[in-house]
Amino acid sequence: MKNQIPQIGSSFPRNDAAAKVIGAEKYATDYYPGNLLWAGVKRAGMPHGRIKQIDISDARKIPGVYAVLTRKDVPGTNRQGPVHKDQPVLAGKKVRHCGDPIALVLCENRDTLEKALSQIRADIDPLPGVFDMDAALQKNSPLIHEEHGNGNILSNLVIEQGKGGKGKGEKGIDECDFTAQEFFQVPMQEHAFLETENGVAWQDPGGRIVIVASTQAPHEDQDEVSYALGMKPDQIRVISPYPGGGFGGKEGATVQCLLALAALHSQGRPVKMWWSREESFAAGYKRHPARLHYWLGAMKDGTLHALHCRLYYDTGAYAHFGEEVMTAGMEHAGGPYRIPNTFVQGWCIYTNNPISGAMRGFGVTQANFAMERMMDILASKLGIDPLKFRLKNALTRGDKNPAGITLTHSTGIRDCFEQIRHHPLWINREKWKSRAGLFKQRGTGIAGMLHSAGYGKGLPDGAIAKAEITKHGCIRIYSGIPDMGQGNAATLLQIAGEELCQEASGMELIQPDTDKTLPSGSSSACRTTYTYGNALIKSCRDLKKRLIHRAALIMLADSEDGLALVPGKVRHLLTGEEVSLKVIAGMMQAAERISVCNYLMPVAKDMPDTGKDFPPGFPHILFSYAAHLVYVEIDELTGCIEIKKYLAVTDAGRILNPQIYEQQIHGAVAQGIGYALTEELLLEKGQILNPNFADYYIPCALDIPDMDSLSVETTEHSGPYGMKGIGQIGIDGPLPAMTNAVKDACGAEISQAPITGQYILNKLQQ
Amino acid sequence: MLISFCLNGELKKLNISPDRRVTDLLREDFGLTGTKEGCGTGECGACTILADGEPRLSCLMLAAQLEGKKIVTIEGLSDGQKLHPVQQAFIDYGAVQCGFCSPGMILSAAAFLRQTPEPSRDQIRESISGNLCRCTGYQKIVDALEAAAKIMQEE
Amino acid sequence: MWGSYPNAQVYAGGTDFLVQLRNRKRDASVIICMERLEAFKGVQQQQNMIRIGACTTLSHVLKEPVIRKHIPVLATAIRRLGSPLIRNMATIGGNICTASPAGDTLPPLYILDAVLEICSEQGIRHIALKDFIHGPGQTALMKNEILSCINVKIPQEYQIHHFEKVGKRKAMTCSVASLAGLLKLDHKGVIKGVRLAWGAVGPRVLMSEKVERSLKGMQLSAESLENAVQQGTEIFSPIDDIRASADYRRKIAGNLMRRLVRHVQPDAGYQIRPDTRIRQPENI
Repeated sequence: MKNQIPQIGSSFPRNDAAAKVIGAEKYATDYYPGNLLWAGVKRAGMPHGRIKQIDISDARKIPGVYAVLTRKDVPGTNRQGPVHKDQPVLAGKKVRHCGDPIALVLCENRDTLEKALSQIRADIDPLPGVFDMDAALQKNSPLIHEEHGNGNILSNLVIEQGKGGKGKGEKGIDECDFTAQEFFQVPMQEHAFLETENGVAWQDPGGRIVIVASTQAPHEDQDEVSYALGMKPDQIRVISPYPGGGFGGKEGATVQCLLALAALHSQGRPVKMWWSREESFAAGYKRHPARLHYWLGAMKDGTLHALHCRLYYDTGAYAHFGEEVMTAGMEHAGGPYRIPNTFVQGWCIYTNNPISGAMRGFGVTQANFAMERMMDILASKLGIDPLKFRLKNALTRGDKNPAGITLTHSTGIRDCFEQIRHHPLWINREKWKSRAGLFKQRGTGIAGMLHSAGYGKGLPDGAIAKAEITKHGCIRIYSGIPDMGQGNAATLLQIAGEELCQEASGMELIQPDTDKTLPSGSSSACRTTYTYGNALIKSCRDLKKRLIHRAALIMLADSEDGLALVPGKVRHLLTGEEVSLKVIAGMMQAAERISVCNYLMPVAKDMPDTGKDFPPGFPHILFSYAAHLVYVEIDELTGCIEIKKYLAVTDAGRILNPQIYEQQIHGAVAQGIGYALTEELLLEKGQILNPNFADYYIPCALDIPDMDSLSVETTEHSGPYGMKGIGQIGIDGPLPAMTNAVKDACGAEISQAPITGQYILNKLQQ
Repeated sequence: MLISFCLNGELKKLNISPDRRVTDLLREDFGLTGTKEGCGTGECGACTILADGEPRLSCLMLAAQLEGKKIVTIEGLSDGQKLHPVQQAFIDYGAVQCGFCSPGMILSAAAFLRQTPEPSRDQIRESISGNLCRCTGYQKIVDALEAAAKIMQEE
Repeated sequence: MWGSYPNAQVYAGGTDFLVQLRNRKRDASVIICMERLEAFKGVQQQQNMIRIGACTTLSHVLKEPVIRKHIPVLATAIRRLGSPLIRNMATIGGNICTASPAGDTLPPLYILDAVLEICSEQGIRHIALKDFIHGPGQTALMKNEILSCINVKIPQEYQIHHFEKVGKRKAMTCSVASLAGLLKLDHKGVIKGVRLAWGAVGPRVLMSEKVERSLKGMQLSAESLENAVQQGTEIFSPIDDIRASADYRRKIAGNLMRRLVRHVQPDAGYQIRPDTRIRQPENI
């Protein structure tokens, strides 16, 4: 009979799958409270301007329109943002991007909403717009945020190690026997989660605002809404059903402040807002487009000696996570290698483009493309095999990484490269390439990568686990972190099953509700299973002690030693006597049945000198590592690329659930393939030209090949049972691996994305 | 307009505006929120339902088109006692992550496997090419459907 | 049918029409759905003619043995159009009347010399497909007329049916360029008959007598195709849009012809590949 205890290391089926496959799981979109009003946002429609007047009089007159709100109806600061509070809930004086909200309409039904929105007339004086970073950096460039005080530069920081040097041609890079230089450009990417931004909110009779939202950070939402609307956090309750995808785009308020505002004006009626796909494109957050200038140098024996790079990230109209994305990119700019001399300069720049925020990869995806291309370019100059070159310079535990931090935790990159080296796909690649058919050119490419886990130094990456034995003897975990698909809920249940030796049928996990769960940080940064899991282990062990103790009292045992938790019961091992958890729980007081324990992730003890100016969130101490190998085939007639094989080898520490681990790798690689091949938000003067799925192509089932996902199991001692998070790393590999493979196939040097057929055909003909 | 159709095995008669979008009718009027909406333009497949056994995009259907049809939503796929083999395989093979695409994906696949009992992996991929998934990278969905096909053959 | 609603707009599958309504590219207070007009559905073979009802869904057309056997070029094109879900609803008549320059059923129907049957209260009239489409979204359909049937003569003498479409992904993608072709080769591999039509590289489907003439009588080879590509460069008039540049479209429109050489063994010593009879290139 199949083992019903979800144990560590087993591919135990996910707890959330059963309800999802029968359509019973209720997402935020599925909440339709009675007597509801629909809310919709009137957006600027122009990228930069001064608001003179917003005429809502005609809109108000339409039958079925309940209310039309503008800036003057917003209490509090009217400022939201997950870090920097520079984004209005409703714009009052200025609009800074086409999606900026200028009015909020509440209607009896959705059809009226459209009519009402079309009747709102905004009189906005256009201001000259800034759409690229060069223009934004010009001395007399129009200012996106006049009060900001540093032109359009949100942030400009430096990491310097060894003889980094201030300018190209100085110190470290000058000593190199071989150097390479290149300039890279990557586009804005859309999260394209299937469930768009949405939620429902109402004001309860006590005056509290209740928000049900598709969100990655319900406890943080409380703070963000309270700051924006001048309310006390405890006056706001946020409920987070399983989100239908997030990938970073639901970190930081999307609909939450607007819904709370609506609820303040709806006399107790619930208000629902559900962004259409087009609105999600226009107003949702994006991956930062970036430009990266790289100089990389090595000595003739193949050791990397110096890195000098400049990273420019376009954060759009508002800061959102811009500075943090930039610092993450900077921290990872040198890849998983030893580079004694580094000079990494980062700029995060305001423009009138759509807002870039957190997206899986978080600044690292951009930088890793550049670094891994540079590795191949330099290997070629040195005449060294690209895999040997990477192995020679791969970090090991105890090394300092390019940001100057000593790696005291698990560092498995070398093993990842070794696994590639011994894999038949690597060994047999030349044979495969030689068999290219008519009009086809074949190539293979590799990429290494690392990805930080956790918030980093200066920020508390913490979780408060709450585990309960219910009155009926069931284990209930109150997870403060949403599971947006990554499977942390199931893994946490496995942890509980492992600790408490209980079957899946005797346990449940509830998704966040700020009235019931405890602050545990956001569902992001590869931290959820690690941080909450560590706290949960404590809670479970605590609960176990209490259950055992109570059992001893019940069974009149003079020692707790001989007692063991087994499914549904506690057993006295010597006599075989048992007492059910239901009986034990029935005797416990409410407070006794709950265990609340917290955990704070360790942070780096060292800090490079240049890091002192960094905002919180730098540096990190914990990293996952990976190496990818891809086989590509280029069609000479169309330039189109097909991926024939994909191999990902990842260091995830100890793998708690192999199936869930693979889910994350597959999903991240697939998004990386989209980023590499087809996905590109096209912008013209701040307007997105392809704001829909008809013209923005995410991969379909025919576009992603079968992937081989292997693992290197290091032991991350600080993590639950030795694990560490790997939610993001997979997305950092496809673009560099594939562009390296294209170079191998046809000699074309690629330095931008996406690598469409058009782009490749041009390269082939050069 | 009065329309009557069969919904998950039950006869329904209602007076409805003939141009009411079927996705909204199912979700709001019948409370069957298993059918999702991801784009509203037929690009993503999240709104897939079965109409006389054929997978269709409910976001591009209007109420009048339901007249006389046998409609099955995800809620009506299993017989109430046992899950459909595709649903079970999705659970067993890790084909569900956020799950938002799952109802549409499952219905498309269930209909396909009934028609094509021994599909290749490529054929499976083609059958779900109109159902976008952003979480899984599709591989475990294909694994699940390969397994479900074998089980459906045995049944 | 129009009766009390003379200004009603008609649609069949809705996969274009309803999307246009949503995007406000159309304005319609009354719409009529034709999906249940049985008279306009179904595929029949009458001797050497195939009649396809305009309201037949693309899935249905694809399933028909008659289509697969006699005009596989159309089957291949349909198979690459949209997705199974779209094909279950979209109709062949709809694809024609939408008259997108990139409509995937169009190049095959052009080389098959499809003749359209149009009906109205006044009766039935016939018009060749190539005279029916005037430009993007513009057809010869008059007010209160509907396209009822598509007639195709079975192309007996052509052994090779070829279709390739280039798009940004492998399903649910608007063609950036497409080529439909029919080839008749003699036992030595000399081209006795050729029909070619390109989609998405002009406001309408493009055909070229000049290109076809340059291939007739030539051995099907990389060289003869290279010559044909040279002959064809000036016929293409693609546009720049968000999907692709005009320059790219022009290049690949020519290149797609080179692909035809796959129908014969690439090595010298010509021989029609055994499975070339009614054959499609794989994995295109």
